[in-house]
Amino acid sequence: MAQARLDRNEQINGWAFIMPAMVLLGIFMIYPILWSLWMSFQVGRGNAFSFGGLANIQRLANDALLLQALSNTIIFFIIQVPIMIVLALLFAVALNDATLRLRGIFRTLLFLPCVTSLIAYSSLFKSMFSNDGVINQALMGLHIIDAPIPWLTDPFWAKIVIISAITWRWTGYNMIFYLAALQNIDKSIYEAARIDGIPAWARFCKITVPMLKPVILFTTILSTIGTLQLFDEVNNITQGGPGNGTLTLSLYIYNLTFRMMPSFGYSALVSWVIVLIVAVLSVIQFFIARDRRRTT
Amino acid sequence: MLRTSSRLSRSLALAFAGISLTSVSVAAGELTIWCWDPNFNIAAMADATARYTAANPDTTFAINNVTQDEINQKLQTQLLAGVSDGLPDIVLIQDDNIQRFLQSFPGAFVPLSDSIDMTKFADYKVAAATYEGKSYSLPFDSGVTGLFYRADYLEEAGYTPADVQDITWDRLIEIGKDVLDKTDKQLIGMDFNDDGQIIMMMQSTGSWYLTEGNEPNILDNPALRESLEVFQEMSQAGLLKPVSDWTSYTGSFTSGDVATVPQGVWITGTIKSMPDQAGQWRVAPLPKLNDVEGATHYSNNGGSSWYVLSSSQNQEEAIDFLKTVWAEDVDFYQGILVNQGAVGSLLAAREGDAYKASDDFFSGEPVWQNFSDWLSQVPAVDYGTFTPEARLAVRAQLPNIANGGNIDDALKAIDAQLRQQMQ
Repeated sequence: MAQARLDRNEQINGWAFIMPAMVLLGIFMIYPILWSLWMSFQVGRGNAFSFGGLANIQRLANDALLLQALSNTIIFFIIQVPIMIVLALLFAVALNDATLRLRGIFRTLLFLPCVTSLIAYSSLFKSMFSNDGVINQALMGLHIIDAPIPWLTDPFWAKIVIISAITWRWTGYNMIFYLAALQNIDKSIYEAARIDGIPAWARFCKITVPMLKPVILFTTILSTIGTLQLFDEVNNITQGGPGNGTLTLSLYIYNLTFRMMPSFGYSALVSWVIVLIVAVLSVIQFFIARDRRRTT
Repeated sequence: MLRTSSRLSRSLALAFAGISLTSVSVAAGELTIWCWDPNFNIAAMADATARYTAANPDTTFAINNVTQDEINQKLQTQLLAGVSDGLPDIVLIQDDNIQRFLQSFPGAFVPLSDSIDMTKFADYKVAAATYEGKSYSLPFDSGVTGLFYRADYLEEAGYTPADVQDITWDRLIEIGKDVLDKTDKQLIGMDFNDDGQIIMMMQSTGSWYLTEGNEPNILDNPALRESLEVFQEMSQAGLLKPVSDWTSYTGSFTSGDVATVPQGVWITGTIKSMPDQAGQWRVAPLPKLNDVEGATHYSNNGGSSWYVLSSSQNQEEAIDFLKTVWAEDVDFYQGILVNQGAVGSLLAAREGDAYKASDDFFSGEPVWQNFSDWLSQVPAVDYGTFTPEARLAVRAQLPNIANGGNIDDALKAIDAQLRQQMQ
């Protein structure tokens, strides 16, 4: 009996200690999340909104612009994420080579893009890829092209610019993860492989990549989530144009809230669409990761 | 690509920085004003405030340089949250954007027509900010349009200034082709992410993307159809120099790469920023559409007006300031015309000396008199609530149309996107 009372006292004390954190978390995290869920059922403009039942979901089902934003976003991550992951992996392996000279300088150069401000580098890319920008001038100077490429005025080329921009910005970031993971691979495995006469490319495919699999999975899923939230680059370089060619989900939410007659309920619902997609992708990652544990 | 929560904290920090910047300037008897563009709006406002303070030493002003996007965002967020801390007393808002504020946030702005006689201003400017019978704006600069052109390029191609007076867009395209042939200069710099060009052509007939404010006017809008056709024809003939933002747009004519600039009068300052091009530029009335009923040479692009927020602690002073300087001081309008190239909407200002003077930069043409004559003839349109939605929908189709896409399909796509966004 006394023991039970002591237990309860300890429990109360424990809860009391974490209460401030819980309250803050509740006010600033959980309450807004629940509010946004409630909000996503509201219809109306600005301050004048009312409960609309499933009206927003109906609107969602017929929203061609949302589909366009979704397909743009998917194109971005299906093309960009693999390119970036492979590049980051190759750079990491190259930099991990102890015989490479000036390793520190290369590592700094590759990581430098990650510390530049998103706005600053976006503005830079925008000016580089403009019609009379450095890129077109250089390509024309080298006689690779006759007329300037419409980088920012054609939906297809604009996508290429965005993909190059985010690849430039985030490759070094992912590379650091691989570099760290490479330190943990036992050198003796490579030694044994070399003694057995395994060529370098096979060592890379059969040893390095499998050993890095958990890190690759981790960076892939995080990059995917990052791409789903892509906003700064498209907002600054193309504003989602030309012709909605680079409109992303986040930018669409922004447009719904700030550029158009504010329709907060509907933008909240579109935000929940992103949450749903991220959740689905996380579940997929969870299953792949579990598979891996079972087989090893 | 990986994002962390630092994005959130960064934007919060920015938001706080913005708020603290603006709130430190609030003091007793001081009016805070938000507007953009140091060479234009801010300079004009500074002149106005200096005049008022000279007569009323107790009232001082703090003019903050806030971009148009920021103004829209801050107003929208704060009005929605019902928090007025840090909001200014007077704010500048672009005309085609004001209706959504007036309708989304009833009571947020002071109806100025209660205290100021609105018949003194150009009709179409007042109409843009009228909601439920009351006008909320002190109309400021006009976006009345004209065709700025390089007389020297045209002459090289065999055309005189008389050849571009009161012409149609079709005729301009013919001239443009000749100019391209003979001088290798394209006709117009065009940002495919901006529908300003389309708006100018369409509004010259008195029609708009919407009718009665809320009904899409896309499929049966002959003016819009022909505007898009003209745009397509120019693009297919290689007359448009694609630009990707405002800087490269202004660069297209300050560098001498294009032969004409059809634009609102507020672009004059930028054109005159190249003194070595003096005497090469002239201004003609905007070309008109060929086959559309009600087509005129007069249109509008851009232009904004001043608003007093209801949350202001110094409402009476703010209204008195706008009334005595902006609604009465003809002399003040002469100053901002000469210094900033700002054509105000106060009709009486046209009688001032500066408006009657000719401009040597434009080979002695009475440009200001011309612009103010055109100003009084601009057809009024009802911008309505959903203009931002409509503009985004039109922009989405511009690259496609420029590449020769079917106009019927484009109109259907615009209509569909607009209707979807209006739900």
